[in-house]
Amino acid sequence: MIRLSGIGKTFPGAELSLRGTKLVTQGPALWVRNLARAVRLTASPGAPVRALEDVTLNIAAGEVFGILGPNGSGKTTLVKIMAGLLRPTEGAGAVAGVEMNHPQAIRRRVSYVSTTGWMGLEWALTAEENIRFFGLLSGMSGALAKTRTDEALRDVGLMQDRHKAVSELSNGMRQRVILARALLLRTPVVLLDEPTVGLDPIHRDQVLALVRETLPARGQTVIVVDHQADALETIVDRAAILAGGRLLRAGTPAELVSGLEGVRVLEMVTRGSGEPRAAIPPQVQEVERIERPGPLGLTQWRLTVADRSDALEAALHWVLSGGGQAVQVAERAPRLADVVTGRLRREVSR
Amino acid sequence: MRVPAAGEPRDVRVHSLIREIATLWAFAIREYRIWQSYRVNQVMWMVNIFVTTLLFFLMGQMVKGKAAHLMGAAYGTNYMSFIVVGIAMNVFLFTNLADPYTRIARSYFNGTMDLMLLSPMSIYTPLLGFMTKSMLDDYPRLFFVGGFGMLLFGAAFRFQYTLPALGFTVLVLSSAFGIGMISASSFYLLNIKRGTEPVRFLVQQLLATLLAGSYYPVTVLPRPLQWVACLIPHTYAFDALRRLMDPGAHLGGAVLPLQQILPWPPLAVDGAVLGLMTLILIPVGLLLYARGIEKARRNGTLTRWQ
Repeated sequence: MIRLSGIGKTFPGAELSLRGTKLVTQGPALWVRNLARAVRLTASPGAPVRALEDVTLNIAAGEVFGILGPNGSGKTTLVKIMAGLLRPTEGAGAVAGVEMNHPQAIRRRVSYVSTTGWMGLEWALTAEENIRFFGLLSGMSGALAKTRTDEALRDVGLMQDRHKAVSELSNGMRQRVILARALLLRTPVVLLDEPTVGLDPIHRDQVLALVRETLPARGQTVIVVDHQADALETIVDRAAILAGGRLLRAGTPAELVSGLEGVRVLEMVTRGSGEPRAAIPPQVQEVERIERPGPLGLTQWRLTVADRSDALEAALHWVLSGGGQAVQVAERAPRLADVVTGRLRREVSR
Repeated sequence: MRVPAAGEPRDVRVHSLIREIATLWAFAIREYRIWQSYRVNQVMWMVNIFVTTLLFFLMGQMVKGKAAHLMGAAYGTNYMSFIVVGIAMNVFLFTNLADPYTRIARSYFNGTMDLMLLSPMSIYTPLLGFMTKSMLDDYPRLFFVGGFGMLLFGAAFRFQYTLPALGFTVLVLSSAFGIGMISASSFYLLNIKRGTEPVRFLVQQLLATLLAGSYYPVTVLPRPLQWVACLIPHTYAFDALRRLMDPGAHLGGAVLPLQQILPWPPLAVDGAVLGLMTLILIPVGLLLYARGIEKARRNGTLTRWQ
């Protein structure tokens, strides 16, 4: 359904250099040439940014595919390339059988919803009017747009509030209006960029169920972008992990954490602890420490330790060597979220 | 509008066209609903029309004796009729010329350009759709301007040439839209995202306001500036519409420099130049706009909120 090969994307910056009398410019800025000096008339976005590097990926029809990675890892850039909203700087690919150099044709085959920014909601119109207008904009007849709008609003649990203006809805409800728009078109590919951000647990689960069950049942291929892996781990067939614009690994959630069999994650909360005085023991591979504000002086620790019987004791001893006492200690197997947030990414990318 | 591919069957082409028109209608309804939801806006809209129209009429009253003398035989003797044509056409032209840039800017800053470009419609349809808002706002002003002028300030018109006048209006609106699209393309092509857009400023705010003959005839200008006035469509539209609609105006008698050197009747010159400008400016505007969108697609600057 989606085939990407060696996709790279560089966002141009603006550079100016005078070589003799020759002015070399790059990027979306307007310049006036003068033999003595160059005057930049418009703002420029600064240095070029390499957002994606050699991404190769295949997504099968009917799959629920997650794209995971921390902020700035290139997730949204990748999904916008799939939607035909961005042209890759290099590489090739096809979406639903359409080559990437035909963005006009791609957009007939994808629904793309991003919950960042406004994404076209008109605040003076009701939830229903916003959705129905999008149907009409997409070439539906009035009757079909009405039927699909009702179905989409029902799917996201907004039938009760469909006559409320967007300005009267909460943030989470607005987000569900945006999601309803993605459900309207029944395109072969649905691209969802952070669909559960800001939703309460009940509606988050509702959206996840929709992604897991309703859309694939309609024969749609779903690509979900998120930086919160916990939510996606349970619903995706496969996922890809991006970091720094590179594809680290792609596979099922189980495959993505495979290779970490020799590792455990230790989560602790301590009170009144200072900097550990002892040397870090060899069983401890990675440490993340967060000071929690408040009068109790709590510190949260997350340690990646070797899967050995003495690791827990060694880690505890090391943490408490700076004083204080342990309030809570838990040990668990590594999860997909651990890979995405970077604690175990190095192991995975090896 | 999407240009149907040459090989497409006729019914597919017709269907595409109907779909694009239906989308424009949906936009118009949407923009009307939004406009309607802001009640203060409606009141202010009326007040604004009245005040701006009144201002021009009062200024016209002050100078009408002298102005009538300067108008020359071609445009009749009623300065109020002269100025009604100027104000009314400026309202029309301002919408077509200035609005495309404004609408793109709105779409960019509201983060809706992505959404619009995901629609299977032509890349021009959302832009035209957004413009219906301005048409709702601006086009009815014509009737207020005409009404005020005729009822309160003694403007008069003759209507035996209504059809040719409509033809000239369509031509000038089309060519102004072409300039508007060139102006709009600067948003992405030249990265002019805030402040004064140079094409719009040059044509509408500088040349049209000062030189095209909106409020005084072109003949009061120094000769070189009269030639500069010949570069924009407004000048020919004002000339033609006044000849056709103002009482006592003449269809013959060259006024504009180009009319004086070409061996054709003045209205033929106006029509030919406006037709030529339309033929050139609209394709250029549409092409540059498409290039701007493509550039934004490459650079990732379609919308502000990425």
